[in-house]
Amino acid sequence: MKPAAVPTVFIIDDDRGMRQAIEDLLESVGLRAESFASGEEFLSRRHTSGPSCLVLDVRLPQMSGLDFQRRLAESGMQVPIIFITAHGDVPMSVRALKSGAVEFLTKPFRDQDLLDAIQQALQHARAAQEEQAEIHTLQERHHALTPREQQVMVLVVSGMLNKQIASEIGTSEATVKIHRGNVMHKMQAGSVVDLVRMADKLKLSPSK
Amino acid sequence: MTNEGVQKTLAELSRDLQESKARLEEAQHVAHVGHWEWDLETDVVVWSDETYRIFGLSPQERPMNLATVRAMVHPEDREPLYRGVDEDLLAGVRPDAEFRIVRPNGEVRTVHSVTPKRWSSMPGDAKRDASGRPYKLFGTVQDITDRKRAEEALKQSQFYLSEGQRLAHMGSWAFNAAGFDYWSSELFHIHGLDPTGKPPTVEGYLNLVHPEDRDSMQHEIQKMFAEHRGFDFTKRIVRPDGKTRYVRCVGVPVTELTFKGFVGTGIDVTEHELLTQELRRERAYLTEAQSLTHTGSWACNLLTRQIFHSSDENARLYGFDSSHGAIPFDSFYNTILVEDEVALRAKLENAIRAGADYDVEFRIRRADGAIRFLRGIGHHNPIQEIGEYVGITVDITERKRAEEEREKLRQLEADLAHVNRVNMMGELAAALAHEIRQPIAASITSANACLRWLARDPPDLERARAAASRIEQDGNRAAEVINHLRSFYKKGTPPERGIVDLKDIIREMTALLRKQAVRHSIKIHSELHENMPNVLADRVQLQQVFMNLMLNAIEAMKDTGGKLTISSRPTPEGQLIVSISDTGAGLPAESPERIFDAFHTTKPQGTGMGLAITRSIVEAHGGQVWATANQGTGATFHFTLQGEAEAHG
Repeated sequence: MKPAAVPTVFIIDDDRGMRQAIEDLLESVGLRAESFASGEEFLSRRHTSGPSCLVLDVRLPQMSGLDFQRRLAESGMQVPIIFITAHGDVPMSVRALKSGAVEFLTKPFRDQDLLDAIQQALQHARAAQEEQAEIHTLQERHHALTPREQQVMVLVVSGMLNKQIASEIGTSEATVKIHRGNVMHKMQAGSVVDLVRMADKLKLSPSK
Repeated sequence: MTNEGVQKTLAELSRDLQESKARLEEAQHVAHVGHWEWDLETDVVVWSDETYRIFGLSPQERPMNLATVRAMVHPEDREPLYRGVDEDLLAGVRPDAEFRIVRPNGEVRTVHSVTPKRWSSMPGDAKRDASGRPYKLFGTVQDITDRKRAEEALKQSQFYLSEGQRLAHMGSWAFNAAGFDYWSSELFHIHGLDPTGKPPTVEGYLNLVHPEDRDSMQHEIQKMFAEHRGFDFTKRIVRPDGKTRYVRCVGVPVTELTFKGFVGTGIDVTEHELLTQELRRERAYLTEAQSLTHTGSWACNLLTRQIFHSSDENARLYGFDSSHGAIPFDSFYNTILVEDEVALRAKLENAIRAGADYDVEFRIRRADGAIRFLRGIGHHNPIQEIGEYVGITVDITERKRAEEEREKLRQLEADLAHVNRVNMMGELAAALAHEIRQPIAASITSANACLRWLARDPPDLERARAAASRIEQDGNRAAEVINHLRSFYKKGTPPERGIVDLKDIIREMTALLRKQAVRHSIKIHSELHENMPNVLADRVQLQQVFMNLMLNAIEAMKDTGGKLTISSRPTPEGQLIVSISDTGAGLPAESPERIFDAFHTTKPQGTGMGLAITRSIVEAHGGQVWATANQGTGATFHFTLQGEAEAHG
């Protein structure tokens, strides 16, 4: 497991004063913050890969905050979002929260509310990032298996006995035993249960 | 026969002669016929007693001869008479003459003298000499003056009659079982026939009748004879030259013990008939026009309540049917609605008194319950009697309804304008809220950050100062938004200034808000200074100022009713002060100076922008706006504007 990177909060608001104030507030509690005037600007700039969250103004020039949220989801970028708005209404906040926003705050907001929301969002991000990292490691291990071993692993996690596996792939029971041992070793699985959990994360299924 | 016998016989004869002579004289006297004898040789003229009388003389007054007789003949007749006699005597024909004589008293008489033709074999006949010339003439003379006069009179009256018939296009006729036995010459003329001809047969007569009228005419003739009753009908005839004429035929039966036939007249009524048809046509057109335009015509005396004329349409407008006879004045009058009657009566009475025309509008309730608006226009001709009017009635219900619709629409527009104003204020307020909220939120966040920098151990003064400086910036930014609003009318709208007559604007706004005012029992009333200068201003913005202030005033009085007064007066500095005053609740007791601030409102659904905008507009025009409490109830809002001359200078 890799150590978690420094969390970064990205702020997108067209009001410069607001942007600066939030950035400064976050820095005062030791968070890293980066701010952008629009969603386009955010996308065009490379940003750090550590756990992060987005503080997004609803009313933005060109693309609105809600549209931007949808576009991020479509591009597969999973980042928790906290919406802020100067003229929010109930339907708008419902729509935002349904689309996966962590929080919906109306300006002016209490600083603690924003900081709590950010902590919550970073928690999410951190968890998601750890999950992502574990999957990444498992994928590397799975990649290291021979095709025969990958085949045997799928059959093992499906609950088949060695004898059944041997007849399924047309080899001897002894050969299956060797493959099985290699799989447990390479995947660093302590038990079959462990291996089943890994296969789950890798989304492996017998049909594959 | 003895001598005695002869004597006796002679005496008897003489007596008989005397008697017959006396009888002759008597007969002559009764018949106004005398006789005469003229001896051509001796020139002695012997007259009978009656002849003397005819000539205006006493019987046997004096002996006569040709010269004395001739002298008594009317001078104009003398020459032709004697020449004629000579000629006749020579030709051997009986002289038969009519001539005038002049009596000694100057009276003129007409006489007829006959000299019997067969004189040779008659005693007293003229004797002829050897050459055959008569030497004695005998004749009679008759006074025919009276007969002559009667004849003249008859001739004259016949002339008058025929002339009268000719002039009147009226002919006369007689009809018996055998057919027409008499047609006057004018009757021939009327039918285009030769007056010297004979009256036509019934069949010939029917052929003269227009084919379309022939059957009914034949039927009428049959009925005439069957019922022996008088008749009067008009039919068309076709003259031989093809012209169609209308002939009116009037006949009465003649009965002398038994039915003899008919006498009657035939009158050419073509002109009359055509005129009647024309009139009927024109009347039909007029009726149609009246019905199309819902206009009725009438003539009446309003004082005596007599109707001289009322067209069908006039009756129809009031919901009556005039086909069953004239409708009395009161029936018309009683349809008028009681609410309108008093005012109407006053107007009519004034018009009658002044002998003037009138033009009134009123409502009636018809028998079917429908309420209609009528307009009555009456014209009085000064030569007519007092109270006599001719005029028209027009149904203006549709027009009135359209007017009401328009009025409703205008009300709707006014309401809409109000709603729009409120909506606009709402939008503006929302936009403003966002604009102001942004810097305020930023400054709160910066303040939070600032506090956190200071709370650190050790406090990060540098970052805290930076945050505080941002707070200042954002605070200024918020203030700028407010300033921007205040100058909204200065910067936001391009100046569209022109010369504006405030009276126009006040009139427009009063008209626009009148209904609303009436609904809340508010009277709008203006006291404008006579010499109000025009102002140089943005018309629409000024309308908004008036609308805001007037709506506020109406709002303030809407539960109580009251009076809205718009007044104006010029100041010595060339400014104009306009004041809009109400009798409502008055200014708020707490901080009355804040009423012009944006978002400051005392009304539940108010935006608090009306007076703020009013102030912006007035100040943009170089004026001021303020409010004062009234002496009694209510408040007055005043604003100043530069007069046109001042604004130019």
